[in-house]
Amino acid sequence: MQRVIYSSALALALLAGQPAMAANDELEQLREEVRALAERLKRAEARLQQADAATAANVVPPTPAVEAPARANPAAFNIGLSALFSAGGSSATDAQLGGLQAGAHDPNRNGFTVQNVELSIGGAIDPYLDGQANLIFQIDRDGETVVELEEAFLATRALPYGLQIKAGQYFTEFGRHNPQHPHTWAFVDQPVVLSRFFGGDGLRSQGARAAWLTPLPWYSELTLGAQNASGETVTSFLSSPGEEVGGYTLINRGGSRKAKDLLWSGRWLNGADLSNTLSANLGFSALVGPNASGTDTDTRIAGLDLYMKWRPLVNERGFPFVAWQTEWLARDYQTPDGTLKDRGGYTQVLWGFQPRWVGGLRLESAYGKGSDGTDPLRDQRKRYAANLSYYPTEFSKLRLQYNRDLAEHLPGHTANSLWLQYEFNLGAHSAHKF
Amino acid sequence: MNRLIAFLFFMGLGALPGWAYAKLTVVTTTQDGAAIVQAIGGEHVQVRSLTLGTRDPHFAEATPSMIRQVYQADLLVLIGADIEIGWLPPLLETARNGRVLPGAPGYLDLSASVTLLDRPSGPVSRAQGDVHARGNPHYWLDPRNGLRMAQAIAARLGEIDPAHAVDYGARLAVFRQEMERRLPAWQVQLAALKGKPVIAYHKSFVYLADAFGFRIVAEVEPKPGIPPNAAHLQRLVETIREQQIGVLIMEPYYERRSAEYLVRETGVKLAVLPQSVGAQPRISTYFELFDAIAAAFKAAGVAP
Repeated sequence: MQRVIYSSALALALLAGQPAMAANDELEQLREEVRALAERLKRAEARLQQADAATAANVVPPTPAVEAPARANPAAFNIGLSALFSAGGSSATDAQLGGLQAGAHDPNRNGFTVQNVELSIGGAIDPYLDGQANLIFQIDRDGETVVELEEAFLATRALPYGLQIKAGQYFTEFGRHNPQHPHTWAFVDQPVVLSRFFGGDGLRSQGARAAWLTPLPWYSELTLGAQNASGETVTSFLSSPGEEVGGYTLINRGGSRKAKDLLWSGRWLNGADLSNTLSANLGFSALVGPNASGTDTDTRIAGLDLYMKWRPLVNERGFPFVAWQTEWLARDYQTPDGTLKDRGGYTQVLWGFQPRWVGGLRLESAYGKGSDGTDPLRDQRKRYAANLSYYPTEFSKLRLQYNRDLAEHLPGHTANSLWLQYEFNLGAHSAHKF
Repeated sequence: MNRLIAFLFFMGLGALPGWAYAKLTVVTTTQDGAAIVQAIGGEHVQVRSLTLGTRDPHFAEATPSMIRQVYQADLLVLIGADIEIGWLPPLLETARNGRVLPGAPGYLDLSASVTLLDRPSGPVSRAQGDVHARGNPHYWLDPRNGLRMAQAIAARLGEIDPAHAVDYGARLAVFRQEMERRLPAWQVQLAALKGKPVIAYHKSFVYLADAFGFRIVAEVEPKPGIPPNAAHLQRLVETIREQQIGVLIMEPYYERRSAEYLVRETGVKLAVLPQSVGAQPRISTYFELFDAIAAAFKAAGVAP
């Protein structure tokens, strides 16, 4: 029977290979015949397979009929709710904690904090686009419930040439930490330098960006984007009139009429598996945009980020692992009287020493050149944090963190804080991102 | 003459990527899928697995190199039944490759080619642990399902690459013959297990039990994905004694303390079974996987 297949294939090949110098009609006719032959061959093969299956029925039963997939509703989308709380206290007062824990989703008062309750909805919009929206609910320091449209964007699914376009309201892809949502953080609070440069809520705004997966022989992605430079989540740029940066009260510079009124962002992210057990990311990011300390002042921010993760070959539920993450950021903020230069960074190590358990250590430093030491967002600052996290499953977490703060602006220059964080995730399966 | 050599040299260089691209680029989520694709695709395919057989495929992470591999793939072959739920959806979102999105010819979910066991009949929730609503995803551990996977792969390869459809059909026939030759041998090797009660660490060997006729009567995990505590282990000691369970089977990557405790307390024999191609260095084909499983049972003193 197999010989039949091979001889038919041979005949087919000969037929296809005949000098097709005849007129187009003839060529078309020949093609038609080849197609018909191929079809017959296919059917013959199917019969052969059936015959094969019949003789082997006692050993291997035939393939069962394909069952309909369980999720048959094309309108279905993923929905998830993640809620993050903390409890604890600090040697600093509630008022001082506002400067020490400047992230809006940091535990920032003695007692209990609702850090972040996030409703995420996402899915395929049509064959061309994916959509995602993240809504935040929070109870602020005054007990008021706050609702924020954190993100809502569309992203193309399969543009050619490795391109992807994203548009809407979204976290700027700067460095490693800024685009991460609070429930994926490895510590209860965001790095000091990010609170300084990108404000309490992280750098996010309305705009569009294109990302290109380059044809280089390793993972190398270039991203270029433009977003509105104004609003309370664009802290180092136009921000909101009346806010203060480095002693300057921000003015209203009007809307975005020219390209230079927008916030431009660029990122080059590289990734590779260095071995079967070690993977690494190296990224460079840059931001350019106007700031509102004067009528013609700009801000430039540059960042470097490195992430390495080790996992042994034999691995239980993703454990053990060691992950090392480091970012360094520099900001030049032009003012009518000169440029404010701020620098800062952090390095952190996570050690998942056995299933469910992760220990973490983070060292941070940030400073503003020429600062008089009274501004909590520009003073000399160091923070050491150690934590231990327990994950009962992928969907819940309990974390204890100790912070030792060395801050020039504090009366005694030091503060000690202890925070217990707890979290749950409902709905859509959380993504295992690298 | 030198010019001619230089010309030929550069022509050759130009042809190199051409040869590489002439092969179908296939990416699989596990090494089991890759081994079968290699057996069916032969020299017409270039296949890579996104995960290693030494690790639990539930807990992989979408790394940048995986994004790049999916971006370049002509065909993505997955185990399905939600085993890759944590990392494949984010990977497909970022890989921007329309050829391998669900519904496209380049997306092959092998779970559709087999009958899944352990389909929950009542309502399910995460309170029951890591339950899979569509059924148990560890179906590649039944060699008969391996043949079904091979059939699905051969059909899909032939669809995407009709020029070599005959070759894929021929290799499938070889795969089938090999299976028909080996399966009775494995059944003889594991005949001692037939009808016997067995305890498994995780709910991942139901298909192996189905194929070789043993019964899994208990799991070391109280619920899928939840490690046992002392009280549960104590109950298992009683279960093992009462039901006279002779064998405990588990994957190489789970903690051994619980199993060793049960071995000490009850004398149950521990068989650490490679659960995937690549789980041990010498398992590179789908057939070698079952050779190794039979050898592991033998080494544990369970099979003669």
